[in-house]
Amino acid sequence: MRFATRTALLLGKTIGTASRAFKFGGGSTLPGRVARRLDPAFVSDMVKELPLGCVLITGTNGKTTTSALLASILDRAGMTPVHNRTGANLMAGIASALIREADSGGTLAGRLGLFEVDEAALPDAIAETAPRLVLVNNLFRDQLDRYGELDTLAAKMKKAIVTLDPSRTVALNADDPLVASIGSGLEQKVLYYGIDDQKYASDTMQHAADSKHCAACGGRLDYDYYLFGHLGRYRCPDCGASRPETDVAATHIEMLGMEGTRCTLRFPGGTCDLTIPVPGLYNVYNILAAMTASLALGVEPDEVLGAVEDFTAAFGRVERVQAGNRDIMMILAKNPAGFNEVIRTLTFAPGKKTVMLALNDNIADGRDVSWIWDVDFEMFRGRLADVVCSGVRAFDMALRIKYAGVGEMSLATEPDLAKALDAGLIAAGRAGTLYVVPTYTAMLDLRKTMVERGLVTPYWEDN
Amino acid sequence: MTVRIGWLYPDLMNIYGDRGNIMTLVQRCKWRGIPVQVDELALGARLPEGLIDIFFMGGGQDREQKIVCRDLLEVKGPALKREIDRGAAALVVCGGYQLFGKYYRPFEGEELTGIEVFDAYTVAGNKRCIGNVVATSALGGPSGTIVGFENHSGKTYLGDGCTPLAMVSVGFGNNSEDGTEGAIYRGAIGTYLHGSLLPKNPGVADFLIEKALARREEGVRLDPLDDALELKAHDSAVVRARKTH
Repeated sequence: MRFATRTALLLGKTIGTASRAFKFGGGSTLPGRVARRLDPAFVSDMVKELPLGCVLITGTNGKTTTSALLASILDRAGMTPVHNRTGANLMAGIASALIREADSGGTLAGRLGLFEVDEAALPDAIAETAPRLVLVNNLFRDQLDRYGELDTLAAKMKKAIVTLDPSRTVALNADDPLVASIGSGLEQKVLYYGIDDQKYASDTMQHAADSKHCAACGGRLDYDYYLFGHLGRYRCPDCGASRPETDVAATHIEMLGMEGTRCTLRFPGGTCDLTIPVPGLYNVYNILAAMTASLALGVEPDEVLGAVEDFTAAFGRVERVQAGNRDIMMILAKNPAGFNEVIRTLTFAPGKKTVMLALNDNIADGRDVSWIWDVDFEMFRGRLADVVCSGVRAFDMALRIKYAGVGEMSLATEPDLAKALDAGLIAAGRAGTLYVVPTYTAMLDLRKTMVERGLVTPYWEDN
Repeated sequence: MTVRIGWLYPDLMNIYGDRGNIMTLVQRCKWRGIPVQVDELALGARLPEGLIDIFFMGGGQDREQKIVCRDLLEVKGPALKREIDRGAAALVVCGGYQLFGKYYRPFEGEELTGIEVFDAYTVAGNKRCIGNVVATSALGGPSGTIVGFENHSGKTYLGDGCTPLAMVSVGFGNNSEDGTEGAIYRGAIGTYLHGSLLPKNPGVADFLIEKALARREEGVRLDPLDDALELKAHDSAVVRARKTH
């Protein structure tokens, strides 16, 4: 190990220890930021210590769930990962994970680097980690104020992927036309996964849909059906590009509301039935993604399935919390596609729901809240008992609900998250469930409130 | 009498929640008992003459904007201009606003010719103007302000043939230089406040509906609506805008 790397590692470790000791926020990015400042080659040098190389997981939705699932599969298969599991997914977060998992001599506690990577950070992450596998789950419009246009983003991702050694593997979601287009003409091995069942398909595109045009020629895509946003079965009438055949697929799906999803999976060499304990079609994609990645890494199918069955939702994505004689179910929604899927899941099960919607506009949420007008809140019509709108942009959310015309339920607006949570719990009633749908920083604040009330443990209590 | 809204290129020019504006126009007509209908005007479709009261066009990515520019010049542009001169209302946002001017000149590549509803032109800027906006405007309702969010790199300059929609007090506006934001020509409004401009600015929404009704009948006055929530959302967005800049 180079002297600069060693020094950066030691300094990073000291900062990490201090931040945990003084509880100034878990230390999931600061140690890495400092280490990379001191030694710009820190990450590329550290990953040389990983005998099984690195895997990068990216995409707008499902990065954290997919990589948490993949981590538990790899653990079971004895390929212990070094993983940026707190969801800090820029280069500083990756560097921090390496620091946390290394001893002061630079020996890592894992054998394979498993990194969830922000879409825009993928080119840097590829350059610095020379991954053996890159997986792209989907590309939705998330925070365009950060990224610019989706096409440009996809082009940058592809440009970086092309530079990989031809022996490396790229795993792509076949149902997302923009993601699938990354695979065309690559020298590297390309694996596709997707959903081959159209039971829950619709013939109209959800409003949040993003990619409507062929990435190759610009022609307008023809869809046989849509599954989730712009994901579905498509082809380009102009140049003939179409949804690729899948290597791993869900061939039969049955949604069980909040209880989860039952599906049949097909992979090279077999099929199996599986019940996924978390709801939503998007989680089927996350399972397929983790499966495709682990099979590509040589994990035996049986081990993959065992780990998937044991898996419970990753931090913050779907959380069940008991609050006295009531239940809180918290589901993160950070963009139109994800929000639509949450609403679809909530309205799938019978009965009117008590819902709290918490909208913040901090940097991590995106400053611009216009996106709530792309969410199909109209799906809530006749399905809500009560709704409480909260967060910094509580009144924007309340206005959106008003214009959605969801019916004659009471509409309360309380910007203070803790107070809104109380109001929601009262509205849910004894033995009732309050469904909380927050944006990212609202979720962090709500968790803090719940921790203070002794309801959940802080996620950074990791070591 | 039905108010007819013509939504220009809904599948191409709809970035950042632009359809919130359509929803607002529709609901505010419905709540007043005014029948309302939305016609989608896609690529290639000709304008039904004299039938559309309010035109709407949102923003789009570069590729979409190029496709739309061609269609405006070849199919819809002259008719659109004629309808607006005959009193039709319009709201055009971001890319739509730029194409309603004389031209858009990018750093490289071809200049996009506009349909000249507004006496305005746009040149590419090297800085992206992103953030909350507060601007004083005659259409700003009780507070005299409109509030929204901008995200554009084009810089638009107005000539004498149109007036600014508003004067910026927080944010960048048309070009970050002269303090103007948006443009008004007769019943047509162009603006960089993308996405959901109308929900939080009911005065602007009602201006458009009033223009639409005035086309058919003189002296029509809109029934007032309970805008308490709209105004609260407006005011809290103004406070937030001042804090985040």
